Amino acid sequence: MPRTNTRLAGVLAAMLHRERDDRIYPGRADDDTFGLPTFAETDLTPKKVTMTTVTHPDGRMSQYPPAEQWGDWVEWDGRLWPKKVARRYTLVPTVCFNCESACGLLAYVDRETLEIKKFEGNPVHPGSRGRNCAKGPATLNQVYDPERILHPLKRVGARGEGRWKRITWDEALDEIAARMRESRLQRRDGIMYHVGRPGEDGFTNRCIQAWGVDGHNSHTNICSAGARAGYAFWSAGDRPSPDYANARTILLISSHLETGHYFNPHAQRIIEAKQKGAKLITFDPRLSNTASKSDVWLPTWPGSEAYVLLAIANDLIQNDRYDKDFVRRWVNWEQTLEAIANGQLSMDKDPLVAEIALSAAPSFELFDRVLKHLYAEFTFERAAREAQVPEARIREAAAYVADCQGRLAAHTWRSASIGNLGGWQVARCLFFLNVLTGSVGTRGGTSLNAWNKFVPRPFDVPPAFDAWNELHLPHEWPLAFYEMSFLLPHFLEEGRGTIDVYFTRVYNPLWINPDGFVWLKALKDEDKIRCHVALTPTWNESAWFADYVLPMGHAGERHDLMSQETHAGQWIAFRQPVRRVALERLGRPVRFTYEANPGAVWEENEFWIELSARMDPDGDLGIRRHFESPYRRGEIITVDEYYRWIFENSVPGLPEAAAREGLTPLAYMRNYACFEVTRENYTPFEQPIDAQDAEIDAQGRVLRNGTVAGVVVDGTPKAGFGTPSRKLEFFSPTLARWGWPEREHVIPWVLRSHVHPDHIDRDRGEMLLLPTFRLPTLIHTRSANAKWLYELSHKNPVWMHPSDARRLGVVPGDLIRVETEIGYFVDTVWVTEGIKPGIIAMSHHLGRWRLQEQAGVSRGASNLVTLAEDADAGRYGLAVQHSARAWTSFDPDTSRIWWDDVGVHQNLTHGVHPDPVSGAHCWLQKAVNVRKADPGDRHGDVHVDTNKSMAIYRAWAALTRSAVDHSPDGTRRPYWLKRPLKPVKNAYALPEKPFGR
Amino acid sequence: MNYGFLINNETCIGCHACSTACKSENEVPLGVQRTWVKSVETGLYPNVRRHFQVTRCNHCANPPCVRICPVTAMYQRDDGIVEFDPEVCIGCKACLQACPYDAIYIDPDTGTAAKCHYCAHRTDLGLEPACVVVCPEHAIIAGDLDDPNTEISRMLAEHQVTVRKPEQGTAPKLFYINADAATLHPTAVPRTPATFAWADVLPLHEADEDHPADTFPAAPPPAPRKSSSGAPLRAPQPQGMPAGGPIHIGTGRMAEQMVQVAYNAQHKIPWHWPVPAYLVAKGIGAGLFMLLSLGWGLHLFAFDAPAFIASGLLSLICMAVTTALLVFDLERPERFLRILTRPQWGSWLTRGAFILIAFSTLAGLWWMLEVGAYAALWPEALAEAARPFLLWAGLPLAAGTAAYTAFLFGQAEGRDLWQSTLLPFHLLVQAVMAGTALLLLVATVLTLPDALLHTTRIAFAAALILDLLLTVGGEFGMPHASEAAAQAAHLIRHGRYKDYFWLWSVATGHVIPLALLAVGHPLAGGLAGLLCLAGLYCYEYAFVMAPQEIPNS
Repeated sequence: MPRTNTRLAGVLAAMLHRERDDRIYPGRADDDTFGLPTFAETDLTPKKVTMTTVTHPDGRMSQYPPAEQWGDWVEWDGRLWPKKVARRYTLVPTVCFNCESACGLLAYVDRETLEIKKFEGNPVHPGSRGRNCAKGPATLNQVYDPERILHPLKRVGARGEGRWKRITWDEALDEIAARMRESRLQRRDGIMYHVGRPGEDGFTNRCIQAWGVDGHNSHTNICSAGARAGYAFWSAGDRPSPDYANARTILLISSHLETGHYFNPHAQRIIEAKQKGAKLITFDPRLSNTASKSDVWLPTWPGSEAYVLLAIANDLIQNDRYDKDFVRRWVNWEQTLEAIANGQLSMDKDPLVAEIALSAAPSFELFDRVLKHLYAEFTFERAAREAQVPEARIREAAAYVADCQGRLAAHTWRSASIGNLGGWQVARCLFFLNVLTGSVGTRGGTSLNAWNKFVPRPFDVPPAFDAWNELHLPHEWPLAFYEMSFLLPHFLEEGRGTIDVYFTRVYNPLWINPDGFVWLKALKDEDKIRCHVALTPTWNESAWFADYVLPMGHAGERHDLMSQETHAGQWIAFRQPVRRVALERLGRPVRFTYEANPGAVWEENEFWIELSARMDPDGDLGIRRHFESPYRRGEIITVDEYYRWIFENSVPGLPEAAAREGLTPLAYMRNYACFEVTRENYTPFEQPIDAQDAEIDAQGRVLRNGTVAGVVVDGTPKAGFGTPSRKLEFFSPTLARWGWPEREHVIPWVLRSHVHPDHIDRDRGEMLLLPTFRLPTLIHTRSANAKWLYELSHKNPVWMHPSDARRLGVVPGDLIRVETEIGYFVDTVWVTEGIKPGIIAMSHHLGRWRLQEQAGVSRGASNLVTLAEDADAGRYGLAVQHSARAWTSFDPDTSRIWWDDVGVHQNLTHGVHPDPVSGAHCWLQKAVNVRKADPGDRHGDVHVDTNKSMAIYRAWAALTRSAVDHSPDGTRRPYWLKRPLKPVKNAYALPEKPFGR
Repeated sequence: MNYGFLINNETCIGCHACSTACKSENEVPLGVQRTWVKSVETGLYPNVRRHFQVTRCNHCANPPCVRICPVTAMYQRDDGIVEFDPEVCIGCKACLQACPYDAIYIDPDTGTAAKCHYCAHRTDLGLEPACVVVCPEHAIIAGDLDDPNTEISRMLAEHQVTVRKPEQGTAPKLFYINADAATLHPTAVPRTPATFAWADVLPLHEADEDHPADTFPAAPPPAPRKSSSGAPLRAPQPQGMPAGGPIHIGTGRMAEQMVQVAYNAQHKIPWHWPVPAYLVAKGIGAGLFMLLSLGWGLHLFAFDAPAFIASGLLSLICMAVTTALLVFDLERPERFLRILTRPQWGSWLTRGAFILIAFSTLAGLWWMLEVGAYAALWPEALAEAARPFLLWAGLPLAAGTAAYTAFLFGQAEGRDLWQSTLLPFHLLVQAVMAGTALLLLVATVLTLPDALLHTTRIAFAAALILDLLLTVGGEFGMPHASEAAAQAAHLIRHGRYKDYFWLWSVATGHVIPLALLAVGHPLAGGLAGLLCLAGLYCYEYAFVMAPQEIPNS
């Protein structure tokens, strides 16, 4: 009855308010070309052929349609079976886009109706090896989502009012290009491309570089910044690439068998190793699926991980069980001893200091004694106490690490590294174990991402830009990895700058970032963000506040080139718009991908080319020439030409492989969508280099034309690492010089987390909120339009240990109110032994919302909410009107939505916690009060005081050490540290008028 | 060729890839699953595990779903695949009741039974099932069990494996390596907890909003008795129902924390009110005829045209209602006739349909002869000549009509409570009880011959007493051997259906009618009949519903 009432009310409202008529309801009958896929029956019968048998290292033999028959493949329809209805497909390989793993997919496209029947695995893909996780097949849901955005939309009325009109791509391109041109003529920091999922390697970055602006902003600081910083200070590589399959010991501070970074490719290889006898150690306060499959589960208190890691390190050091030869050859121990001698690295008043200072040529033996002295305090007892885990388990883990024989595959990406203040030291301490066991880049060890990822050079690389956007990397965080993206609205609020054209691309900042109401405020402010263009295949909370919403394709609807460090090897994968490829195979050429996609859904590649060209029609800005075809002088490049050039010129071995099959390199990639560049890629840093004309400096570095090309190790010039010393930097001179000289910063050490047990008083109702864990079935905020995934997992109750539930007097399903530093939310509880007492945890994807009944985030996946805003008082809130509902569309499944609870948007209540070194948002939250909900509380309620959130921001910003005060050379940032797009060196000069000074 | 599955729980990581790949390959609608990953958490922090079980059709070597299917819509191929044909299925849902593993569902698009069909459309081409291809961990292995060289045969030779519910005698061909008892046993956890870890739980009954937890009897209090050593003794507990659930720690029942289901597929109850209503209608129809046939045949009362014609008409109406209810309960009622046109003779649904038809035809023929004679359309002698033959011949058919459902329930191997050896006799008694009850009700408006009325009363009283004995002293007095049957019986005696059982069936349906019969007034007799029928319906409702509440997965 209430549902009927709502429906009636909706109809009445629509009749009474005429202005509602011009609203666009995406996916509704206004585009009758889009609907349920239909498939043609063919008279052909499937032939029983010899299938492609893929034999995997784990013994698996899988059968796939042989690649030479992909073009024309007949198969029985499964739904109608045992009635024998044959379908005739062309099988087009592409690449999944539902996480960053870039697994292969094989689309079954009906040769007659050109509809997609299904996405299976691509058997020739070296990373995913023909297999997928739950998200791969669910790509089909996204393609045939009745609520997808099918045409470019332009806002009418006020921002956020939810009124749109359909425009053409031409209009969108012309209007946005004009604004970009205007901005570019005035300044070099007015255009910002803010990316959530890149899903590609370099295409867009090249465009931004061509525009000549400092315009790249990412989501890295809410994701991997902590781990990146930890790995980079050691090695200049900013993420690990473990060779799981060949490991003897695997140590994970993450949930790789559940989500991880490259979930499917990594999970395959972890289990493969386990089957061969490898031991698996997992740190996680929550019983993840990974923890459940582990030989040793260490449910460490968040922030204590470094204690445990250093206790394991100390065990190796004190018992002389570390790989001394590797450490002697590849760690900057001489530099470390020098730092001790000159007081840069404090060793208290130990007699060792004098001995080092007096020694003319300090020996490695001295360094060994330094290690023994430094880390002696990290005992198993202390680690067990800090982590609140049984000591015997830590000892067991240490024994497995000690026994790894140079084959320790270790990984941390988010988890503790992104959770804690000082989380970057967790990654550093973890890599310390790789260094000590000599498991760096070895078979079964841990490599760096750059060694196992292949990014080919495009036809043209625009010059570095001369600009520095203060909104990306302000002077307070000179070492941040990377842009301080989650503070963008806080910076805008403070008046640090404005944005002329703001692109959000597969990014939902208002939802995914902490402190979302501050984002809401910024996104609504047309003085601060003058034009917001949301590039998204589906509605999201942020796109609602855009000026243009431009539908870009899902996995099978776009071009991208990707490579990931899934194992010890390099490959590239080619994402393709499968219907376009199918049309072309059938002899029907396509100029722009939107001609082949549903509605007018386009792809970014062609969009950026066209947009950039229109931004500079006469070429006077110097932009156009970077978008001119290498094959047709003066003409704008096509997407075919772009990739053709790369495949012909930049991928070693590809032209030869193509020639063997009588194909052009582009045709080869259209056929297979992937290519293995190298395999068994181990210890590239050991590669000897030619040092004939080079100079060797005092540190043993090989200098060629003023740049460091390598390092001499035991008399042999070798490639080494990307650090200034070309060695693994145990002691970081960079940190020492850039304002962080204390021992706990310059060497792998423990930093005290903001959620240390001393800061959480359970007797006062305080708890630790772990808000970051993921489910293996969801995709951040992009699962809402995948019905099969939402059917499996749609709610995020608060996980709580029974002892805490008893203390609070709640049972599973009860409502609780969780108060954070800046507000509160109301959710149900899930009581489980699978969580550490004192900690509550919530999976982070759920709690999507929309503001209008019939438009916005999917009805089966979001709450209809009312937004309470009092900007002056800083008070914001969400009140849930109703949760998920069934509704009628062309897809009968939408009327069968049976679930109700679609979760609670907890991130709104998170204060921002920028780490002063890595710039990472430290996700773990202190829940200042957790209690049974008040009688008036309703599930999904959220309230926030943004005055409090700005105060939290200021308190954390005060922890920073600005480049203005600490830069050793008048620059903003160490030049050797990575940035997604590096400007020219001149742009690194400190600002003349630093903000706040 | 003999296809089977092997699921390796050592490598399964619970990622649900198989679930979505299956949905995609076979276009499985929302709300139903052909394969799913049951997840159960066991242990006490920090010694906790989450166990996964990829759950689906077992492609049993001896599949009960095939045996019960009346039209061969569910069948076993010679290569061991248990397959279904949606073009044939009439939607009777009997296979859902026969499957002890919750593997079958009704497709909301077609209204026909569906389940994992081993991707036979792929297997026939040499491709593996979609779930096998997608699995990141190679945890699902499909293949020919007859060929010793297949991977599945080699792994079966090397590993210790187990199957779900081997005691059912279905010989599942889905084997698990390293299965956990908590995931294997459907009753290890409550069927409907308040919530799953990442998904909603649908209440089994629409009206239940607050998910009443399954109730277990409280732990018995310390008994006053002592052993000869003086040690206090515990009182014996009721059979089959462990006090306080599986594990007790301290004073509280810790089972929710020790063993809890984090995720499972949810199954709806297939049979609802039409089935108990059909049982009652069929009982009346058969019972009335049996009364007339036996009473007249044994000379307990003489033929009386108006009384016999009225009773016969009632019997025929009840048989019509029976048929209507059966057809109504089909998901594809328009395919009803397929039971006759493509009968699967092993199914008691088919056999029952033919018994119903035979009985109704014979009873109808007899009735028409009597009516024709009464209306002088043909000589009375014709009816008289045919009467002994038709009434005696109809007797076994009426008895069969009453009792065949017991054999159908017996084929429903997923519902242990229904597999009662007393059931055929019980149904016969119920038929007599129902038939006589209706006749007593009729007697309040229609004058019946005294002898007929007298016999009816005696038969009614006897049936009431016998039925009460069978129910309380037999089916619900004896402990049930299987846990599922015991739990269903518990639901009837002490759980959700206790009012249906005690208040309606026992008290209102038996005790009060007996008391009213003792009063002797025709109106009291009519009321007794009415209450008895109401009580019978409530009993059948509880008996049909309760076993369907016990989880099979």
